[in-house]
Amino acid sequence: MLIRWSVARLLHRSLFFVAPLVATSLVSFGAVAQAPPAPASAPPPNAPVPTDDSRVTPLEPRGAQGSQVAPAAAKPPPVDDSRVRPVDSAGSQGASTGNSITSPAPSPYLPAPSSGHEGHFEFGSYGRVWAATDLQGRLGRGSNIVAFGPRVVDEGSYAELELRREDTWSEKTKGRVVATLALFPPFFHFNGNSMNAIGVRNLYAQGSYEKINLWAGSRMYRGDDIYLLNWWPLDNQNTVGGGAFGSFDSKAGKTILAVHMGQQRLDNPYQFQQVPVVAPFGFGTVNVTKLDRPRMVETLKITQLFKNGPQARFFADDDQGFKVSLYGEAHQISSGVFQDPLTQRDRDLPSDTGFMIGSQLTYFTGKRDTHAHLFLRHARGIAAYDPLESPTTFTIDRSTAGASDTRIAFSGNIEQGPFAVAWGGYVRFFRDASTDTSTTQKYDEGAVVARPSFFFNDHFGMSIEGSYQQRRLQVIDPNTDGPLTAQVGRFAVMPFFSPSGRGTFKRPQIRLLYALTARDSGAKRLYAAEDIVAQRGVDHYLGIGAEWWFNSSSYP
Amino acid sequence: MKKATTVLALSVALSAFVNQTACVSIPEEGAQPVLGTRVGDWRDEVIYQVLVDRFANGTVNNDFQVRPGALARYQGGDWLGMVEHLDYIESLGVTTLWISPVVKNVETDADVDGYHGYWAQDLTKTNPHFGELADLRQLVAEAHKRKLKVVLDIVTNHMGQAFFYDMNLNGKADIYIGGTGSTSKVERVSEFDPDWDPRGVQAATSLGNAGRAPLIFIQDPSINRVPPQPGILGRLEGYHGFGRILNYDDDQQRLLGDFPGGLKDVNTESPEVREAMVDAYARWVELTDLDGFRIDTVKHVEYEFWEMFAPAVRKRLAALGKKNFLMFGEAFDGNDKLLGSYTQKNRLDSVFYFSQHFQVYRDVYQYANDAEQKGTKQIADLWGERPKNYAAEPQENGVGIPPTKALVNFIDNHDVARFLFFARGNEQEKKASLRNALSLLMTEEGIPCLYYGTEQDFAGGNDPANREVLWDTEFKTTGDTFLHFSKLARIRKSYAALRRGDQSVIFSTTSTKDEPDAGMFAFERTGGDAGNAYALVVANSNGKKEGVTEAGGKAMATSLTAGIVLVDVMDPQKPTFTVGADKTIKVSVPPQSTRILVPQEQVVP
Repeated sequence: MLIRWSVARLLHRSLFFVAPLVATSLVSFGAVAQAPPAPASAPPPNAPVPTDDSRVTPLEPRGAQGSQVAPAAAKPPPVDDSRVRPVDSAGSQGASTGNSITSPAPSPYLPAPSSGHEGHFEFGSYGRVWAATDLQGRLGRGSNIVAFGPRVVDEGSYAELELRREDTWSEKTKGRVVATLALFPPFFHFNGNSMNAIGVRNLYAQGSYEKINLWAGSRMYRGDDIYLLNWWPLDNQNTVGGGAFGSFDSKAGKTILAVHMGQQRLDNPYQFQQVPVVAPFGFGTVNVTKLDRPRMVETLKITQLFKNGPQARFFADDDQGFKVSLYGEAHQISSGVFQDPLTQRDRDLPSDTGFMIGSQLTYFTGKRDTHAHLFLRHARGIAAYDPLESPTTFTIDRSTAGASDTRIAFSGNIEQGPFAVAWGGYVRFFRDASTDTSTTQKYDEGAVVARPSFFFNDHFGMSIEGSYQQRRLQVIDPNTDGPLTAQVGRFAVMPFFSPSGRGTFKRPQIRLLYALTARDSGAKRLYAAEDIVAQRGVDHYLGIGAEWWFNSSSYP
Repeated sequence: MKKATTVLALSVALSAFVNQTACVSIPEEGAQPVLGTRVGDWRDEVIYQVLVDRFANGTVNNDFQVRPGALARYQGGDWLGMVEHLDYIESLGVTTLWISPVVKNVETDADVDGYHGYWAQDLTKTNPHFGELADLRQLVAEAHKRKLKVVLDIVTNHMGQAFFYDMNLNGKADIYIGGTGSTSKVERVSEFDPDWDPRGVQAATSLGNAGRAPLIFIQDPSINRVPPQPGILGRLEGYHGFGRILNYDDDQQRLLGDFPGGLKDVNTESPEVREAMVDAYARWVELTDLDGFRIDTVKHVEYEFWEMFAPAVRKRLAALGKKNFLMFGEAFDGNDKLLGSYTQKNRLDSVFYFSQHFQVYRDVYQYANDAEQKGTKQIADLWGERPKNYAAEPQENGVGIPPTKALVNFIDNHDVARFLFFARGNEQEKKASLRNALSLLMTEEGIPCLYYGTEQDFAGGNDPANREVLWDTEFKTTGDTFLHFSKLARIRKSYAALRRGDQSVIFSTTSTKDEPDAGMFAFERTGGDAGNAYALVVANSNGKKEGVTEAGGKAMATSLTAGIVLVDVMDPQKPTFTVGADKTIKVSVPPQSTRILVPQEQVVP
């Protein structure tokens, strides 16, 4: 998606080697999405519970908010001419205009700028809000059965508010401080509760010296997404740490190198536990940290951008290009001791490691967001589990050795005249580390989705969307005696108003949505028998909603 | 472009190399089995009773709420653990696994868990603590590959504590304590488990009796304490509602009362209940190819139920190719006649020989080294009752063996303290008496059944102390008792007389002290389905002195002809004994030992 927007757009503006693809680091506004907050009460590591991706499957509920919490894929914002940056600064920072405040007047609240200094604040946002019914008296409800199903219907409401400080001290030195707050539903007008769940999705500082950029803090850190699936299939990190990136011109085009190291220690008994002990003075107890084993994650991404340039010509059209990325992750978690709250006995937890390797190939025309992605990725060990999730099934010694996650994904978008088609899909093979014969933690899944759109004029249009998803679990289906196979098909109609213009990714967009979802008996079996969804073969969803994005640091 | 193509190609190749794109599938062992008859003669089998939760932990992923060391709670054993330790089971020499109930249970009640499996909540689902259907199938399939059979423990008498009696009509379950202790007796009344009332448990207010107390299903999904399944078991008419048994000698209470602990007595007189039970349990055989049922608490269910249930199960399974399906019942009772009643026509193939447990393994063997020990005539007397008390004809479409010859013999089990717990004497003497008891178990007529852990000298007291975790032993196969039992198993397997021969006692005594024959006991195994095969078992249950088969100056008479030389196949030295001219034989046996004597020409190398 990054390339889709960043490259396609910026290059379209003839800003050739803007480093949109610096990608991994700066660019992903949408980074929000795949990183739902850790469950409030995560299960203990020995609990026979869900998996790496409890995001969607009804087998794997995630606390009170369920899959609706799954934040959305934020999308690259529409091109804003006023936000165009100097060459080579995209992906880091530059002196934006647009919403920016340039050359601020002396203020009693700010120190007087030094000579050559320019600084300003920026505000950006991503958001979506839906109101919907199932036409049977209940709320419209998500119905995906795979980890990365179509976002239509299931994405729910979600918003981010970003406040950013941008500074330029000289041609060589620039800086940025980014704070992004995420708002999770339900919102006040829906449930009357003024206490809203808020998450800090970005809180970091970044500085650049010529082509080298350094950053540190808490950050969404990821690459291109598949918008229709609300998913970052290759790289999607949410850590506290730091990194560096830089871009280098070459005969072939441009090479971008990004490294990062971060950590997470989720508030669950897999990584963290405090136990009360007798206070050293006086009465009562004090808590001591019994288990403290953050997951360390290191990433490396190399991106090569192939475009026509002064020294090489690859394409007839200067706007066209290819992007190739190679990506790798290494994960480590140390050993620890967990006190079983049922017995107060200590239990050793072994150290774990994992790695992930992946690649991406992207073609773009540079015109109207037309592009195509192909992603490949394989992870093993602890790296097979999303960093914001804890593994819940293990080998007999409670490690994740042998777990694996393999993904092949694709997506794209074409726009011609009043027509546009966006598509996406993936297949995934997930295997936990256990030797269990029967488990929900060994499964294959996949989804395909296509969304053709017709624009009646520059502002009004109609999208229709068809999708299919399947998950096959290593659990016996009593009806077939084979693996339990669940299938869901969906057809949706979505008339919309796009005040910012014509295009699949123009925002804001105000929509009506009707979706009909059909599930087979296998899909029904994924739900508790008492759940109304387990009794329904067909779901309706009629809703009104809006989605917007603008001026986020994730979209240079 | 070339570089891009190369990089992409490398990426694809790398991904293809490392990924595991083989689609998920159910392992062959977890697939629907083809039912078959796997047992010719159940007397050839040696049953090994396993509490699944205590045998081996194959995966930590179903260790939900386990509390290691707290034996009243789940410990983590499962079916995969059993699969992984079939070598151990084979090396012990047993041939049939009796596994504890597989169905989904009420999780916990009064801080005790349903780890044993006797608190059924849903007869159609597996207990997730032990695994899923594929795991159970894998266990049975892997066992069958090794010629091991699998018997499932089932319960038809009761379900878990599914409802309460709303005795004060307030709509919730109460436990009250009343009385002053001075002017009145302090009494505890629990609406979960009230006392027996022949009218049905009654409601009462301060004004007096208020009629029959409503039964209200408990809704507590957090511990799976929800209305039972399937069908009528989830409706109140599926239960009797008379309260807890107080007097086991009262037939009405025994048949209609709740089992202590609030286990709700099922209305087994109902045709719908009977059909549900047949369907629920035959289905498990159809799903997994099990080879038999051990049936819990049969004395708490009316005879008519068994006369419907057993033939219906046999017929249904036979139609699918499963014959010789063993059904033996458990009646925790020393009344031999009562036990035998469940083997009468159209009922069960066999029962757990509880009267023998008390009169032989307790009174003669466990009490060895103690003044309480009974003479071996008590064994002869008990065995002598068999023809009267047990059916002499096989059940129609049953296992083809008369119940008199197919009783399931056992020393101890999960409902009684282990042999070593109450055995008398010092540690060495206790273990000697256990091994001697095992010798009788493996040589007497019937189907021997070994309770897991006996081979490891487990010595736990009453429930749940007698349900130890086996994996703490690291599955060692070098202990004296393990080796003793495995040797007995090999000998039993080698000599048909010990498995299929008719049994006749030729020496017993009332002496237990210093008499030459004190504690001596001998029986022949020959004829019947063993043909001319012959074995003479001579046991000395006295723990202090050597014994001899001689009483009043007369040696033991046998059915053998004079001059036959018998070899003790248990003794590494293979001592011999020759039948005298008068067909008598004088066999000396060291204290707390047993000789298994086989004609020299029949000795297997």
